[in-house]
Order: sequence, then C-alpha cells, then structure tokens
Amino acid sequence: MTREAGGAEFIKLDASKKLSRVGRVILVGSGKGGVGKSLVACGLGLRLSERGFRAGVLDVDLHGASVPNYLGVRPPLSSGTGGLVPKEAGKLKVMSVALFTGDNPVPVRGAGKEGLITELFELTDWGTLDYLVVDLPPSTGDELFTAFSLFGRKSTLILVTTPSRGSLSVVSRLRRLAASEEIRVGGVVLNMAFANSGGGRIYPFGRADPRAVERELGARILAQVPLDPAVSAEGLRRAMAARGELSSSFDELADGVLKT
Amino acid sequence: MHELGIAQSIVEYAVSEAKARKATKVSEIQVEVGQLALIEKPLLSNALRMLRAGPLMEGCRFRVRERKASFTCRKCSASWPMKEAMKQLEKVPQDLLVREPDSKEVPLHFLPSLYPAFVRCPKCGSADIEVIAGEDVRIMRVVFE
Repeated sequence: MTREAGGAEFIKLDASKKLSRVGRVILVGSGKGGVGKSLVACGLGLRLSERGFRAGVLDVDLHGASVPNYLGVRPPLSSGTGGLVPKEAGKLKVMSVALFTGDNPVPVRGAGKEGLITELFELTDWGTLDYLVVDLPPSTGDELFTAFSLFGRKSTLILVTTPSRGSLSVVSRLRRLAASEEIRVGGVVLNMAFANSGGGRIYPFGRADPRAVERELGARILAQVPLDPAVSAEGLRRAMAARGELSSSFDELADGVLKT
Repeated sequence: MHELGIAQSIVEYAVSEAKARKATKVSEIQVEVGQLALIEKPLLSNALRMLRAGPLMEGCRFRVRERKASFTCRKCSASWPMKEAMKQLEKVPQDLLVREPDSKEVPLHFLPSLYPAFVRCPKCGSADIEVIAGEDVRIMRVVFE
C-alpha cells in the first residue's frame, strides 16, 4: 500500500540552526529615518568586537543599506564551504545587501523582503557569535516583522532617537509595537544629543530632559552619542579610535548592553 | 551552495511525515526546482542520494524536475521568460560577482529574492516587476509504504 503527501510543500531555509550559534541578538531600531541607527549599530558592533566578543552586524535596511559605508567594506563577496564569507571590519563580521548590489537600488516589495533578510542571515557563515547586532530600517513594516520573527526569542531592542520632539514621538510608536510583539527593550540611545563647537556644547536637535525621555519611552538611556563631524570626515572606525566623547559614548552603550 | 541544506530540509520533511503517518518507508519524493532558485539539479540529486540512509529513507527514489521561471511587469503588464532575464544578468558588473573557489557567480545565485535589483522590464524598463513562476523549491509528492 502506498500513501502520498505533497501538493507544493515549500522548502524554507532553516534559520533556527544558524541562530543556535548566536548568543544574543541586539536589534537597533527607531521606526524613524535619519536618527543614526546605522551609526549606533556599527559603533556598538565595533566596540563589542574590540572587547573580545565574537560579534557581527547584519544590515536589514534593504532600501537604504549604509552599514558597509560606515564600516569601510565593499563588494565583492566570496563564498566558501560554510556559506557566504562575511566582510570584516577589524574583527567585526559584516553582511549587507549592499555588498551584493553596490550602488544599485533594491526595489524589493513585500514577501521578497522577508525572503531576502532570511537568505542574508541564513546563508552567511557567521561561525559562532556572542552578539549579532541587527541594523533595522526606518518604518514598522516587513523588515521589522521579519527580524522579530527570525530573532524574537534571542533579541533585545535598542531604541535610537534624537532629542527632537518629532523623533521621540515616532520612536514611542516602535516602543508600543515591541511591547505588543513581546520584544524586550533593553534601553535607549539618545543620538546627536549634542555637538562640540567653539569650546562649548551646542544642541542642534534640542536639549531633551533625559528623565522625560526615559519616562516617554519606558526604558533607560544607555548612552548619549554626540554629533561628531569626524565620522563623515574620517570614517566611524577612526573617529571612535580617537578616544573622545564619541568613543566614550560607545563604551557606555556597550556597558549598558552587556548589563541588559 | 544551497543544495545540501535544501536536500536536508526535503528529507527531514519526508521523514517527519512518514513518522506522523506511521509509515515504514519513504519510497519516492518528487521535487520541483524553480529556475530562479538557481539550484543545480545534479547537485541537489546527489545531495538527496547522500541522505538516503536509515530504515525509512533507504532505497527512496528521487525525481527532481525544473519549473521554468517567468516574470511580469506591474507597470505595463508585459511578461517574459528567464531567458530574457539571463541576458540582463550577464551584464552584472564584475565587481559584484561573488567569488567562489573556481568561478564567479551572480548575486542571485545566493539571494534569489534580489532579482528586482538586476532585472528590468524589457518593454518599459521598470524595476516594478514580479516573478510569476519558478521562484521556489517545492515538494510535489511523497510516496510512503
């Protein structure tokens, strides 16, 4: 006697095996564009790797991938027996769709985004990681839900905002969404909190009361990162190596993440 | 590169279904490989044969067939086959090709979902396109004893 099953059973990549070799996933998001998520994700990844942790950064901002630029890595990629070989910035492993597409736009819609993010994570030979930092895109759509679904049980969300009223308002929406999806929020990064100019501090995006920010977002501020023109002029890695306020703010962020 | 992982998923599915149905044997698995999945059929067949071990899978026959890919344009409703898309993929710049030990591959070999970054509508040039067939790997039929 024979019996049959079938009828177009889809084969999906099994990301859970790969995830079993990752200690923690740190999702860096805001829901808003232009607040510096990628800089925060890259800076955090660099600092964790400099402290001896096995760390990687996965860029899931498909339409605006900027992680390779911040970390100074470029195509082409190569593949080996364990999968796609991630680029390295120092000891930090890096994967981004921009390493496949260069300057081409990535006009992917809906379900294609889920497939693309799953493929990017699953096909990369990350080895064993203590920390995978995931740079989320603006918006609260496909990419965000894919990341929640892929990494949910191991993930902690770090919210990035500027001190501006408009930014805080949008970020608070992501905070509420994270709560409904049972994603743990580990803290807040107040980015572009100040800039140094003429021997003093200026506040280009306003001067937020840290306690009021914490109350509004329901999470502790882990670090206040300055707006530093050296990042554009010299690149993030050199700017962080200068051991100024930018660098110390990422020390505070790494300390905060390690405690969450 | 995907073939072994895909083969493992296929066999795991068949074995779990066999156990759920209290079957003693999986005698045949039919698989349809979408052209755009860029899975190499011989490699997938070899990988499946490698996994033909254990009392449930021993002697299992595998039938792997290809499903042609086709595209359509959301803007002008034109449609075209993979052959046309391949002409465009041949123009992917060298510095974006992924280096393998003895060859170079287009990025779509690894990330099939990335096709809108490299394929445009041959009629109107739009990037707002979709795949209407041949994107997936599917198990079409499993026969148990």
